[in-house]
Amino acid sequence: MLRYLLSRLLQAALTTFGVMTIVFFVMRLSGDPVLLLVPEGATREHIETVRRELGFVQPIWRQYLTFLGGLLNLELGVSVVQRVPAWDILASRIPYTLALAGAALLVAVGFGIPAGIAMAIWRGRWFERPIAALVVTGQSMPTFLSGILMIMLFAVTLRWLPSSGVDGPASVVMPAIALGMLSMSTFARMARIAVVDELSKDYVRAGLARGLPLGKVVTRHVLRNAAIPVVTIAALETGNLLAGAIIVETVFAWPGIGQLAIQAIQSRDFLVVQAIVLFVSLVYVAVNLAADLLYAGIDPRIRLGKP
Amino acid sequence: MTAPVLDIDRLRLEIGAAAVVDGLSLSVGQGEIVALVGESGCGKSLSALAVLRLLPDAVRLAGGRILLEGKDLATRDMSSMAAIRGRDASIIFQEPTASLDPLMPVGDQIAEALTAHRSVSAREAMLRAREMLVSIGISDPDRRLAQYPFELSGGMCQRIMIAIALICGPRLLIADEPTTALDVTIQAQILHLIRQLVAERGTAVLLITHDMGVVADIADRVVVMYAGRVAETATAEELFRAPRHPYTALLLASIPRAGIKPKSRLATIEGTVPPPSSHGSGCRFASRCPLAEDRCRIESPPLVDHAPGHQAACWRSGQVATLGAAA
Ligand SMILES: Nc1ncnc2c1ncn2[C@@H]1O[C@H](COP(=O)(O)OP(=O)(O)O)[C@@H](O)[C@H]1O
Ligand code: SF4
Ligand SMILES: [Mg+2]
Repeated sequence: MLRYLLSRLLQAALTTFGVMTIVFFVMRLSGDPVLLLVPEGATREHIETVRRELGFVQPIWRQYLTFLGGLLNLELGVSVVQRVPAWDILASRIPYTLALAGAALLVAVGFGIPAGIAMAIWRGRWFERPIAALVVTGQSMPTFLSGILMIMLFAVTLRWLPSSGVDGPASVVMPAIALGMLSMSTFARMARIAVVDELSKDYVRAGLARGLPLGKVVTRHVLRNAAIPVVTIAALETGNLLAGAIIVETVFAWPGIGQLAIQAIQSRDFLVVQAIVLFVSLVYVAVNLAADLLYAGIDPRIRLGKP
Repeated sequence: MTAPVLDIDRLRLEIGAAAVVDGLSLSVGQGEIVALVGESGCGKSLSALAVLRLLPDAVRLAGGRILLEGKDLATRDMSSMAAIRGRDASIIFQEPTASLDPLMPVGDQIAEALTAHRSVSAREAMLRAREMLVSIGISDPDRRLAQYPFELSGGMCQRIMIAIALICGPRLLIADEPTTALDVTIQAQILHLIRQLVAERGTAVLLITHDMGVVADIADRVVVMYAGRVAETATAEELFRAPRHPYTALLLASIPRAGIKPKSRLATIEGTVPPPSSHGSGCRFASRCPLAEDRCRIESPPLVDHAPGHQAACWRSGQVATLGAAA
């Protein structure tokens, strides 16, 4: 267990380091960074001043070390556009995106997994069909379309929910559904595959043979076994949720980092874009680390080290 | 004579329109070990699963009676079967390790078999599981109870499966090739264990195997199956002494015996079991039978009595002895 933990932690640390390095060099490879940092139409003197201020006259390895050192202190540079530290700008948006992504994940897992389990248990029977139809709808509906349709129905016509922005907890409902819908379908399909796969295993027949009703075999044995592949999907889906947040936050005027990303790119606020890229990558690394820990919690073969 | 514990009468199982098991009849009495023998694919496992109504979706129970202590399981609705499985009749399978949930300690899985049928506390169930392990001769039971299947050998997993199967004291134990996946030495131990438990408890055992060596070791009576039908049935002693079906004779000739040089080829039966869809009107063994004649290919031979409790389905039973001498 300890060895497994250490190896996963080391892997996460290496990935993090790799991400930072790539971000650093991509920024330098894409041309003179100073030109990206100054407003359009800046004077030559202004550009030179910025160059000196930000240390771009130093040798590259020096800049790299300074960059890494800065990251450790959460110093991501000062936004040239807003004249505020990039981290502060980012930090003010993070709670919104976490709330949105968390609620979306809740929608996706809360509906997707029971739907997948139901489809697996009733596979081939008629009641699988209505569930499957819902899943396919969720899967084929583009996020912006489902978002706009919901706004029209629930905000404009029925006036049940606020159409956009943040105005109390009810505001998160529609964006979370729009964002979670695609993941919900993925969870449903994956849970179905995993449960069907487990249902064909010998231990299921053996469980029935000792007199357990099918429901007990499923809840006591099948779901735990099927959880292993589903956790893998959940980790991957988090990446998709963060990507989807860019669209959903724009449609619903949700002040999270997705919206911030669009604004920052439009205003050429390069340091903020860089901060977002770093943050999202780190979230992804953290989620995968959490998935690795979950595997160990579920599977004794990992926990105890299979001989 | 008391009524048999298990009495299967003209069982018929179908996949699509084809009958994979066609008129299987057999009975197992209290404390008796009956071997169901035949090559792979002849319908042994499906017959065993049919008894507990655990057939795969594709396979249909199309006819016959399955009397367990006089009650017909063939007509029961599925929801009432759970109460019977594990309590009145249990089954163990060929792959013991795969038959256990890999994520649950084996002690909990044994206890679960008890709590499925008796209202006992979790503590009590675990104590009973421990007793069960002791009674089947497992040393260090406390450590075993806490272990996961992947930490145990195949033989140990099969012992656990036996503990699960017997913890509620069923009247019938079905063992579907319980030793096929195990080493030879472990095989002998498991068979010995089954024999001992049966003797102690008077459990009826239906032992499925394709290994005549196992039959010789342990069975009281034998039912030889070929392509979904009974070819011959007799006491083990009589069957080995005077087989009346060419298929039985060839199976017996295929047992490796001490004294045969390792290099010499064992007698084997040419060809394979024909698929259910290809069965014509004649004897199903005709395509592989050294005694086959024209009549065999047209008319199916009925099961005929040769001695009390000894039946065979062959037009030329009388000639089978000559075959044994030739092999
Ligand atoms: N789940 C299933 N679906 C379709 N056919 C099956 C299934 N299980 C077994 N069969 C077929 O039924 C026949 C008998 O199988 P089985 O009872 O497993 O044989 P045995 O145990 O004697 O080796 C075989 O021809 C096999 O291919
Ligand atoms: S009936 Fe004919 S083909 Fe069938 S086993 Fe007897 S001799 Fe062989
Ligand atoms: Mg079999």
